[in-house]
Amino acid sequence: MGKQLFRYSEANKEKFLESDNITFNDGSTVSPEEIWHYLTEEAPVKYPSAFEVNLYQGNRGSRDETLPTSLKTRYLGLTFSARMEKAKDNGKSIAFIQGGQAVDPYTAADTIALRPGLVNQWNNGLEYGNDINKENLRRKKSKEKAFHDMSFEACQTGGYEHVQAGDLRIDVIAPYTVLRCSDISYGVEAHRHGPKKNVKLLNVDYPLRYQADKPWAIEYFAQNLRRLVNTLDEVTGRKTSEDDLLKAIKLHNTGRRLGTELAELWWSADVPPTNSDDRASMVSLGNLEVHGDVQASLSVLKEAKKFIAERVKNGVKGHAVADNPKRLFILGSCVGINGSRSEDAGAIVVGRDDQWSHCSSLVEEEGDPYYNLAKATLEYPYEQSIEKRAQWTIEQIKKSRADGVIFIHNWGCNTQAAISRPIVDIIKRETGIPTYIHERDLHGLRDEQEQNRVNAFVEML
Amino acid sequence: MSVKTLDVIRKRLEERPDELRRARENGLKVVGWVGYNVPEEIIHALGFIPVRIAVGGDDRLVEIGARYASSKTCVFIREIVGAFAENKDPYIQQTDILAFDATCLQNYRAAEVIEYFFKKDVVVLAVPRNFHLDEAKEYFAHEANEFTRLLEERAGAPLDSARLAESVALYNDIRKTLKSIYTFQASKNNVISWEEVYDLIQAGELLDKREYLSLLTQTLDELKERQHYPVIASDDGDSRIFLSGSLIPRGDRKLISIIKSVGGRIVGDDLWSGILPHLDLDIKEISPAGVALGYLNRTPHAALPYLDLESDRRLKKLQECLSQFKAQGVIYHTLRYCDPFTFKAKETKNVLAKSGIPLLEIHTEYAGSDYEAMKTRVEAFVEMIKIKSEIAEEQSVLVDA
Ligand code: SF4
Ligand code: SF4
Repeated sequence: MGKQLFRYSEANKEKFLESDNITFNDGSTVSPEEIWHYLTEEAPVKYPSAFEVNLYQGNRGSRDETLPTSLKTRYLGLTFSARMEKAKDNGKSIAFIQGGQAVDPYTAADTIALRPGLVNQWNNGLEYGNDINKENLRRKKSKEKAFHDMSFEACQTGGYEHVQAGDLRIDVIAPYTVLRCSDISYGVEAHRHGPKKNVKLLNVDYPLRYQADKPWAIEYFAQNLRRLVNTLDEVTGRKTSEDDLLKAIKLHNTGRRLGTELAELWWSADVPPTNSDDRASMVSLGNLEVHGDVQASLSVLKEAKKFIAERVKNGVKGHAVADNPKRLFILGSCVGINGSRSEDAGAIVVGRDDQWSHCSSLVEEEGDPYYNLAKATLEYPYEQSIEKRAQWTIEQIKKSRADGVIFIHNWGCNTQAAISRPIVDIIKRETGIPTYIHERDLHGLRDEQEQNRVNAFVEML
Repeated sequence: MSVKTLDVIRKRLEERPDELRRARENGLKVVGWVGYNVPEEIIHALGFIPVRIAVGGDDRLVEIGARYASSKTCVFIREIVGAFAENKDPYIQQTDILAFDATCLQNYRAAEVIEYFFKKDVVVLAVPRNFHLDEAKEYFAHEANEFTRLLEERAGAPLDSARLAESVALYNDIRKTLKSIYTFQASKNNVISWEEVYDLIQAGELLDKREYLSLLTQTLDELKERQHYPVIASDDGDSRIFLSGSLIPRGDRKLISIIKSVGGRIVGDDLWSGILPHLDLDIKEISPAGVALGYLNRTPHAALPYLDLESDRRLKKLQECLSQFKAQGVIYHTLRYCDPFTFKAKETKNVLAKSGIPLLEIHTEYAGSDYEAMKTRVEAFVEMIKIKSEIAEEQSVLVDA
């Protein structure tokens, strides 16, 4: 097709092969040798879009090849679709969930929990040989189905387009609703008129307004979690015990702790030890759900911490990061900015609230695990009142030493858009840091206008 | 021809803002409520004056609201926020406390934004999404107690059970009378129109409740006198339209006037700014929880998801109303970014199609720019209904012959 494709350089192979295996949930492992082979031989043929040099999509012509974690997260991302298909063939149960929630109860109930972004990733990976434009077109077409059956003003459609078309074998739609938006609850509801009647539906009802201080609200959400586990058990045919949940909480606390430590380590460095995208993909490993395999995420995360500690100690600067880059903190809805293009403009993304709010919320391990999990979930900083959420965000901005703040939200994301101004107001008032609000056009290639604004903002900083 | 009491009501509405101002000077407090499950009887029984803050139809206020609550918030909430920003609405000006519910997340966000920017004293009632489950009801009962506690703090006195019983009885009477009046508008040779009843319902959101009940009673007496046996049936050439979808608050009469202008006759609605909230409200126990649960157990608002299509009470109620009011078609009104109703438009259309009821979705905002386009579509729909009913009539004549 004549498109320029990125290739991993053989020069870094030897060092990469010294890194650890990835261990999966089912106990199987993949060696660095196999990962290398996949990334250099198989994947460029299957998924040319992932290797296409296309700055608009955040794919640069060079990558941080000396950071093994970067290759491993890429490997897990590219094999995601095939691994989900394999999991289904082996009888594993898969649930659709909301972004921004932890997955402890799903892990306890032996169910893979996939947030909307991952469901899309699964679907994207089903077709081989696409370039970026074709892939984007395919994505748009599939979303059209949902818009047609629901509303063109929808951002989140609860996986309707994939599940009801029979493209993805998802057993249960059971997100925490209305955590972060209400689109998700209408998306779940829409499945009731779809042709796939055997997909189980459940709203795990996340109540709003100062709920973490109310014992009855915690108890109510705990009951919802029990109902969730029972529903998941109906699909798997097993019986999840309280002990299973406690074990899952402990496992996820390990991930959350590691993710937090890693983020803090990264922030402690004088120079950014990785670029924006590598930082984001490493920190989000802390939630352990990102690759549809809790153990795989954990094993890569453990190793990542070691690499980052080494880089911080030796003052290594991340690949393609400018000298003295302007540090950006991104908040808002389930969306970020183009990392590599922002780096080219002299910036770096040092933090986001999405994926971080719940990663930083540890669950108490003593006592009723349902109650503890409910309490921790109701305490998610992202879900608190304007003032509380802003205060938490300010803390993160300070910790990450950000120079500028961007509140970005998807088109159609009314729940987050509605409070963008007050949140940004408080941040500006209390930190004096420059801010701006941006609306992302949904489901398109990241557009030029958006990047122009980011660049102008960076220049102003 | 016109119903005389309606003129009295119009006049009383004009006087109402001044009356509220005087009441406040005498130490009374006004609670402005915004939402779909706010148990008004509790507010009333605590000695507050409840008024519903529901304004629409002013694109200028929508623009202003967007500066505070983003242009992606539903048009209705944007206008409310804009009205608070401008602070010229006589009812908003007279509001001491605001009571919101979290039935719709956008309503909840409005509470947050208004609290933040305009420093209003806001009380919020949380509402469970799994409203039909026992544990959700138990949770909601706690929330109702908490809501009451917050209002008691502001009232400076606890809620008195006897007063709550009085308020419930008063509101029950209002609902009962409204239902009786509503039947008249849908009848053959009607002496009151749906539009007049709609205004009458919305007047009750502002007027003193006791006075309102007496005005309703007078209206009903007048109607009974002029029309002894209202029979719900078509007049010749009627095209009987039922209005459904997003609310149509005071000030927004665009769609309603279009329907009328093209010869459609509205004979019923299930709008949350219309008769729906007054239907099926059964308060089983005189307590904050009892009242709040009565509200929650009504036909559910579209913002509360329900996962089984077959047993969905919202759709069942719609079908029941269509048959009761002998409606021939539904105009389903969706406001820009009103997800609760917009997401369900297509589904509702498909469900009704099974029983041969056509549905036209009108997706709109408060700007006048879509007026002509809307009119063309509504006109074609009304025309289609007329033709359908003429054909049906001809067929029935043939069968009878
Ligand atoms: S971007 Fe907004 S509407 Fe879309 S899924 Fe995220 S929170 Fe929901
Ligand atoms: S139901 Fe619709 S109109 Fe009402 S507040 Fe919600 S989004 Fe706005």
